[in-house]
Amino acid sequence: MCCALGSAFPVSYASRIMQKQYFLPSSNLMGARLAGSHGDTQESKTNPLVSLSDEPETLYKRLSILVKGHDKAVLDSYEYFAVLAAKELGISVEKVDKPPKTIERFTLLKSVHIYKKHRVQYEMRTHYMCLELKYLTSSTAAVYLEYVQRNLPEGVAMEVKKTKIEKIPEHIQKPVWDTLPQVEETEVKS
Amino acid sequence: MAARAGPCCRAGLSGGALLSRALLSRALLSRALLSRASGTPAPPLWGRAAFSSAAAVSGREGPQAREGSVRRRGWTPQFARSAAPPRTERMAVDQDWSSVYPTAAAFKPASVPLPIRMGYPVKRGVPPPKEGNLELIKIPNFLHLTPPAIKKHCAALKDFCTEWPSALDSDEKCEQHFPIEIETVDYVSSGTSIRNPKARVVTLRVKLSNLNLDDHAKKKLIKLVGERYCQETDVLTITTDRCPLRRQNYDYGMHLLTVLYHESWKTEKWESEKSEEDMEEYIWENSRSQKNALDTLLRIKASENVSNVAEEELLASEVVKNYRNSVIALKNKGETESNMSQYKESVKKLLNIQA
Repeated sequence: MCCALGSAFPVSYASRIMQKQYFLPSSNLMGARLAGSHGDTQESKTNPLVSLSDEPETLYKRLSILVKGHDKAVLDSYEYFAVLAAKELGISVEKVDKPPKTIERFTLLKSVHIYKKHRVQYEMRTHYMCLELKYLTSSTAAVYLEYVQRNLPEGVAMEVKKTKIEKIPEHIQKPVWDTLPQVEETEVKS
Repeated sequence: MAARAGPCCRAGLSGGALLSRALLSRALLSRALLSRASGTPAPPLWGRAAFSSAAAVSGREGPQAREGSVRRRGWTPQFARSAAPPRTERMAVDQDWSSVYPTAAAFKPASVPLPIRMGYPVKRGVPPPKEGNLELIKIPNFLHLTPPAIKKHCAALKDFCTEWPSALDSDEKCEQHFPIEIETVDYVSSGTSIRNPKARVVTLRVKLSNLNLDDHAKKKLIKLVGERYCQETDVLTITTDRCPLRRQNYDYGMHLLTVLYHESWKTEKWESEKSEEDMEEYIWENSRSQKNALDTLLRIKASENVSNVAEEELLASEVVKNYRNSVIALKNKGETESNMSQYKESVKKLLNIQA
């Protein structure tokens, strides 16, 4: 459950951990569910699979998903699916980029032995699709990525670049030499 | 008769071969004799007459062809089970499609009520239909991910998502409260192994303006870090991949940042030997330009026979300050139109030249 938003940082955010029940992409999972309100505490009480913890959530400023495949039609369908899933889960899609395809070609000898003048050529075409999402918490990112990766079609690869944002840790707030005046001399000598 | 019927049977009475009823019945009789003699099931015959008489001849003959010996074109087994009508005919228009294809499955032409054609068409023809079409089975299909199905899945998953804090709605605010950015990459691909050695790389980015550094510490840090600092964006980037695990690389990156920070606050004895070549930016005080300017002004004053003016007074005067600013701008920012014209003006004022 998110604590009071807009108050001074640091705020601890509860993370939602999916229970060990195997995730099935069918709607028959949940038993009786109250009419889908997205309020937090009520849902956690009614949905037995959701458990809350007090550890603070890590925040992802940007999630960049690059999908590579050999067939452009498959990637187009996957893009539609991923964008719709992001919209339904309330994730803001920054942009959908389609870098140009790369073609890797090579020429081999056609025959096992001699016949140098007769070759055969092969090529591999790789199409790309880059999806950039903004402002996700770790629970949301975990849910979205698991859903999207389980439905990755065969023969398609994915790279996910996560940009996590963090506070400056305590030991970098002030130089340590201020707090240890006596020990400084010996340290410098050694 | 028997000899004549035999070859006829074996050659294949394909569609179009017309036999008189008498001949047919004779052929059947001979076949029966043949089968009784050889003891093997006789190959089934083509034609309606076969059905009526075959029942009398012997028991049911299954649709088995003799191995290799009989080759028939367009051959239907004698008691072919007519194929059941495809499921598509019994599908309602408003059915729940997510129960037909709940998970990823191969394309089944009898379960998909769409008149799809796929493949390269024959000459003056159309692409092949969906029945027995390998192209449709090979390509991954998204029949299990129709928009209503996706909405259902997301509605079930929504419980597990948390909201982004509304206070952090812009990049600047994120920067202000959470200055450090850590970038990691995950790889998903099909293969014999799920591991990817590139996944252990961790990149740490932080703006130096967010760290608690004074002037000397910032300059020392930039010198220590070298190429990892970008002047334009004031961003320090540390990329670590020397450890085998991602967590170890992250810890090492944070350790590097800590060490750099604390070391830059320390002042070593040999730092006092910093010479003009080591300076990051041009400082006018105690430079040749200042000496030359003062020298020139003093000589001007001496030639005009004015009593010795103090150096501090000269330095504090307006013209010298203008000159100082223009020289610093030229050295630090480079030569531009405005910088050069500013320098020209200041020199004219300094030397009292009316152009």
